[in-house]
Amino acid sequence: VTVEILEPGPLTSVQEPFGRQGWRHLGVPAGGAADSWSARLANRLAGNPDGAALLEVTLGGLALTTDAPTWMAATGGLAARSGGIHLPATEAWRLRPGAVLRLDPGDGARGYLAVRGGFQVEAVLGSASTDLRTGFGGLDGRRLQAGDRLEPGASTGTPARWTGRRPTGPLRIVPGPHADGFEELLAEWTVGPEADRAGVRLDGPGIVGGEVPSMGLPLGAIQVPPDGRPIVMLADRPVTGGYRVPACVIRADIGPVAQLRTGDTVRFASVSVEEARQALLVAEHALADLEPMEEETDGDLGWAGSHG
Amino acid sequence: VIRPFGEAALLVDTGDADRAQALAADLATRPMAAILGTVPGLRSLLVELDPAARSAGDVASELEWRLASLGSPAPVGRERRIRVLYGGEWGPDLADVASLTGLTEARVVELHASAPLRVLFDGFAPGFAYLGDLPDALHVPRLATPRTSTPAGSVAMAGAMSGIYPAALPGGWRVIGRTPIALFDPRREPPAYLAPGDVVSFEPMEAGDWERLTRIPDDW
Repeated sequence: VTVEILEPGPLTSVQEPFGRQGWRHLGVPAGGAADSWSARLANRLAGNPDGAALLEVTLGGLALTTDAPTWMAATGGLAARSGGIHLPATEAWRLRPGAVLRLDPGDGARGYLAVRGGFQVEAVLGSASTDLRTGFGGLDGRRLQAGDRLEPGASTGTPARWTGRRPTGPLRIVPGPHADGFEELLAEWTVGPEADRAGVRLDGPGIVGGEVPSMGLPLGAIQVPPDGRPIVMLADRPVTGGYRVPACVIRADIGPVAQLRTGDTVRFASVSVEEARQALLVAEHALADLEPMEEETDGDLGWAGSHG
Repeated sequence: VIRPFGEAALLVDTGDADRAQALAADLATRPMAAILGTVPGLRSLLVELDPAARSAGDVASELEWRLASLGSPAPVGRERRIRVLYGGEWGPDLADVASLTGLTEARVVELHASAPLRVLFDGFAPGFAYLGDLPDALHVPRLATPRTSTPAGSVAMAGAMSGIYPAALPGGWRVIGRTPIALFDPRREPPAYLAPGDVVSFEPMEAGDWERLTRIPDDW
C-alpha cells in the first residue's frame, strides 16, 4: 500500500505523538505532535499504538490518495472529506483506491491523519518525528511535498469508534518559577501572527517580562520576553529559554493551545496543581472511550470516496 | 532553592552550570522515583516528574538532600580545538564588536581565541553549546534586532558567552567568524560534537584552508 501526497497544504509533516525523548541534554527538542492528545486519538481510531507515526497537517490544504483500500482516521482541528462526503472525526473509515482525501480548514489549526499500521518512517535519535528547524527525522527532515509517497506498516489493532467527549473551557494555568505577572495573565489575549510548532505568541495588555539565566523549559511554559508579549511554548520549543516564566498551561490544555489560530481570543484561568492533575486524568480517560469497529465492512458504511 | 515549574516540574537553583550538570548526572546514575527527565541550564536544573506517582514536595525534599551531598563537582571534558575564519563576510559583526569593546578587530580575535572556554550546557538548538566565560573585555550585548537566519557554523558571542550555530537558525548573537566543521549530526554517536564539560579553544584560520578541513572532525 502506498499513500501519495497530491497537495501538502502550507505545512504537513510526519510526527509521533510523544516526540523525541532522551536527547535534550544535547539541545535536541522533544518535538512530536503539537496536539498530542488529538494525535493519540487518531492512532487509536486507526487501531494503532498511541505512539505510531502520523501526519500533522497545518491549517488544511492536504490532499492525498492511496493505491489500495486503507483504513484511516483524521482528528483535531481540520475537516476531512472525500468525494464531497464529510468524514467523521470520531471513527476510522476506509479510503478507496484512487479516491482523494482532503483535510480542509475546520475549527482549529492542526489536523492529524493516521493510517492503520502507522506510517513506516525511519527513526532518527529514537523518533520518526520531523525536526523542521534543524532538518532531520520524518521524511528527509523536511515538510511533505506533492509527489511524496509513504507506506503504512503492518497493522496490529482494530479500527475503532470514539464515544468520549473532550472538555472545553478557558486555558488553565498554574504558577511558573517567576511569580510577578501571573495575575496579569488572567485577561483576554489575542493570538498573534507568530504561532507555530514552537510556540504561540499572544497580544494583549502586556505584562512584566525580562531576561533570566537560561533554564530548561517544560511543555506549556509561558515565556514573557522584555516586550511583555507572552509566548506559550509547544512541542518544538528550544530546550532552554532565557525569559521570565510566570505561569504554565497545564498538560491537559496543551492540545487546545496547539489548535489556536492567529486572531483567536483566549482567556486563562488559574487552577491548583491538584486540579491540573485531575484534568489530565479526565483527558486520559476520555481517550479510552472506544468501541471496536467491524473490520470486514464492505458496504457503503465505513467506506469513503465512492465517487473519487 | 527549589521552585515549582508548572504542575509536573521543579526548577532546582544550583547556583552554577557545573552543579546543574552534576545533579543531572547524579540523577542519571542513581534514578529517583517519579522523575521523568532533567534539563540542565546556566544556573538551574529543570526536573520533570510524574505528579501522580509522588508529590512534588516529596521529590523536592529528596532533591535538596541530593544537592547538599554533591560536593564540589568538576565535570571531566574533552579538549576540542575549533578552527575559525574570523571577520569579513564570515564574521559580519566583528567590526561592531571591536567598536563596542574599544578594541581593534585583531585584538578581539586574539582574546576570543586565547582563553579556553568551557561548555556550560547545551540548549537553544541541537548541538548548540553555551561556552563561557569570555574575558570581561569581550562582553557585548545581543543585537537589537535578531537576524532571521544565521548561517550554519557561525561563531557568535553575547554577554559572557560564545557559541556556534549548528544549523542555519534565527539568532541575536553577534557573529564574528565561521567554522567549516559540523556541530550536530543526528546519525553520529554521539550526535553533538560538543558536550557539557568539554574545553574549547578557537584557532584562527585562513580562507584558503577552508576546503582542506573536513566537515567531521577526526576526534568526534
